[in-house]
Amino acid sequence: MTDKFPGNFEGELRRALRPVNAPDGFTERLMSALPADAKPVTVRATRIAPRAWSHRFAMPAALAASLLLAVLLGQQVSMENERRAEQRGREASLKLMQALRVTSQKLDLVYEAVNSPPAAGDEENRS
Amino acid sequence: MSLKAAHPMPDSLLLQARGGDRQAFAALVRAHQGSVFSIGLRMLTRRDQAEDLAQDVFLQLYRKLDSIESLEHLGFWLRRVASNLAIDRLRRLPYSATQPLEETAEVAAQEPESDPLMTRELARLLGELPPQPRAVMVLRYQEDRDVAEIGAMLDMPVNTVKSHIKRSLTALRGRMVGARLIDCEELP
Repeated sequence: MTDKFPGNFEGELRRALRPVNAPDGFTERLMSALPADAKPVTVRATRIAPRAWSHRFAMPAALAASLLLAVLLGQQVSMENERRAEQRGREASLKLMQALRVTSQKLDLVYEAVNSPPAAGDEENRS
Repeated sequence: MSLKAAHPMPDSLLLQARGGDRQAFAALVRAHQGSVFSIGLRMLTRRDQAEDLAQDVFLQLYRKLDSIESLEHLGFWLRRVASNLAIDRLRRLPYSATQPLEETAEVAAQEPESDPLMTRELARLLGELPPQPRAVMVLRYQEDRDVAEIGAMLDMPVNTVKSHIKRSLTALRGRMVGARLIDCEELP
């Protein structure tokens, strides 16, 4: 049994873990492994060349034009549907008026037939 | 070969290295190679693998010099990259390739007031810890970093760092007792 580090275990650990020297020639071997003519890499921000005005706005302009065209087409289709519906309504109205007119004429004929006095031959036949 | 620079390094050395001055870069390497190599050795437990790791770390540094803001940042960056690279390699290596070797013990033998047997055994037992706790212990007791800095280096919450330290110390003490290198009564 030894009594080397009563209460100073960490101090003993520090002594056991003292830094050591690198092997001889370490730096020389490292320097020979470096790229011969290369400097340390310098990171530079890459400047992005400004695009021409037409290129910069081409996409938004195309999108806007497409949107406008879609709206106009939608409006046109809607107006056409409305016009056709009105046309069908007018035609239906005309047909209804015609039917009413024909019915009225028929009723007039019936009314005249009912209210006209009977012919003489008819009375004799009855008695 | 000294472990630390004899004189404080001027920031101009870093600027020169960033400008492509290879001599200035070599001076930076000499100032930090002991620390980086030691982290590799404690983590990987083999000198050849430690040197290979240190070479990789400094090659990465050469490519990333522009992102280093100061000499203080340089020290932080090197420890961070060395530790994380070592953890990655330990996870990839087969278990047999990470077993501690006797050569690790040579380090402790240079300390006059310490028991070579004790320090050798401590270094060996440290090599048996899992990668992350091992890195925490190396940064704490070899590099003398505080827990907040260790957390930042290993992307780890401070409480996790403290927990790793506490559990690792307990485990190491327990193994030292098991190896009959310290008495049970000495345990706090």
